[in-house]
Amino acid sequence: MEVADHKAPTLENGQLADENADVLQFMDSMDAYFTLLHSLSSTLRQYQIQGWLELASARHSMGAYRVNTVLLDHTSHSAATTLLVTQDEGKVDSVEPRFTLCKWGSSSNEKFLGEKQSSQDQLHPQLRHRGSTQLSEEKTSSENKASCEIDDQVQKGRSKSLSVFGTLVSPKLRSAQLSFETALETLVEMANARSEMLYAFDKVDKKLGDGKE
Amino acid sequence: MAGRVQIPTNNSALIAMIADEDTVVGFLLAGVGNVDLRRKTNYLIVDSKTTVKQIEEAFKEFTTRTDIAVVLISQYVANMVRFLVDSYNKPIPAILEIPSKNHPYDPAHDSILSRVKHLFSTESVASRH
Repeated sequence: MEVADHKAPTLENGQLADENADVLQFMDSMDAYFTLLHSLSSTLRQYQIQGWLELASARHSMGAYRVNTVLLDHTSHSAATTLLVTQDEGKVDSVEPRFTLCKWGSSSNEKFLGEKQSSQDQLHPQLRHRGSTQLSEEKTSSENKASCEIDDQVQKGRSKSLSVFGTLVSPKLRSAQLSFETALETLVEMANARSEMLYAFDKVDKKLGDGKE
Repeated sequence: MAGRVQIPTNNSALIAMIADEDTVVGFLLAGVGNVDLRRKTNYLIVDSKTTVKQIEEAFKEFTTRTDIAVVLISQYVANMVRFLVDSYNKPIPAILEIPSKNHPYDPAHDSILSRVKHLFSTESVASRH
């Protein structure tokens, strides 16, 4: 009987510790979320205001008829800036998505160029027998080449997006583009923070719901 | 059970927008605009002539499309369809309320905060005891 009495409190203590850990995780993630939300909202608003002002300035210099939603491309085309959605690998039983911004297809390009580089390394194993200095120089030049290709891709994407408003556009419109790109990065951070908090919230909510039953 | 739901991983998911003209144009400049073969866009420009029904339909469409991962919605627009936004509880697409030119962001209206408040409200706590 004494053994059974000792076991029952231990089991309850274990469950209580588990629930407390979930609640603490939720409180921590909520605190992190709202702190991040406050700072990101300021940053987002800063870049959005900057973007809005630059857009208004571009409209002023180019004319309202040239910076207009009527000019938007309504023919079929894919987005150049997309999101990579993955599931957090550390949490197999979770529904916590992770978002990664791929601006102008750059993340997918980096991955492609990385794979291309590694396949070239496999095709030319004799490079490993050369002097280390020469090898590192070759590696640096190939990395630079890859980086230049990505930059070209990004610049082409930006130019194509601006071309909707004509061939010659105001520098303010280019600045607005960069401001909104930065705002997008901020928004993706917010989406990830939100996702983390919702995951912790759902765990706590579920535990409390089970407790009620 | 939430633990068994799998998130469809996607390497080119879209960002949808329901916002005013300048906000939408700004993000379109950043390259998020998409028009499919049926000429359906991933954005809705809200102006004085846009009805609440149009906003509701756009919200429902964007939150049910499998190619959209995040929906950006101006907070003042979200307030028009608050019941829809607050009742939405899927992890994807994620709904982000953003400030607009004339309406700064108000955390009190954030749908996440509303859900958290409800969790810790006195009625909610009392119902569990």
